[in-house]
Amino acid sequence: MPASSDVLVTLPGNVALHARPAATFVKTAMKFRSRLTVGANGKTADAKSILAVLALGAVGGTTLTLQAEGEDAPAALEALAACVTALSE
Amino acid sequence: MDITFRERNELVGIVLVSHSFELAHGLAALASQVAGAEVRIEPAGGGPDGSLGTTDDTVVAAIARADVGQGVVVLADLGSSVLTVRHLLENGNSNGHIRLVDAPFVEGAIAAAVMSSAGQELDDVARAAEEARDARKL
Repeated sequence: MPASSDVLVTLPGNVALHARPAATFVKTAMKFRSRLTVGANGKTADAKSILAVLALGAVGGTTLTLQAEGEDAPAALEALAACVTALSE
Repeated sequence: MDITFRERNELVGIVLVSHSFELAHGLAALASQVAGAEVRIEPAGGGPDGSLGTTDDTVVAAIARADVGQGVVVLADLGSSVLTVRHLLENGNSNGHIRLVDAPFVEGAIAAAVMSSAGQELDDVARAAEEARDARKL
């Protein structure tokens, strides 16, 4: 199955992708069957792995690149992008 | 039964066994902050009178607090802590739903706690802890 096109979404300025926000992101990703990745700072992480997401070191205001591959890819990307936009500390 | 209590009851528990009271409690606090308060993350650290060590009683009590029916993943820091847990489980204190995992202490605890908070089952929570061994920090 072809990968969907990238979705770019920017973290709120005051929210880093660490601790609770990272867990919220990962839990959202885990609701979908598709293979999901998140890229930041030149690195790419499995969006369903908390340790990989934490290792991105994405600080507030970072633009994340979301990619999905699988049957529910469009819904997954929509949900993840909405999740990122709504994150708070 | 209120909803919060029921949801909490559906999650896999986590026990953190360390030679150090502070290390076990500090890691429990960190994992709770990441994964959320819904997951029972129970520290079992230190010997009698504040000494460094691991006691059977402390571990057994922590497992009992963490066990709400969906199983418990146990992580231990080093050496004799691991042996203490292993000995307890081999002596009939588990019917398979208490799982000692071969995982890095900090990363394994965080991975397991987040998996549990997402409602994953014991096998998946245990696997996430063990896969933490391969996670790169940089």
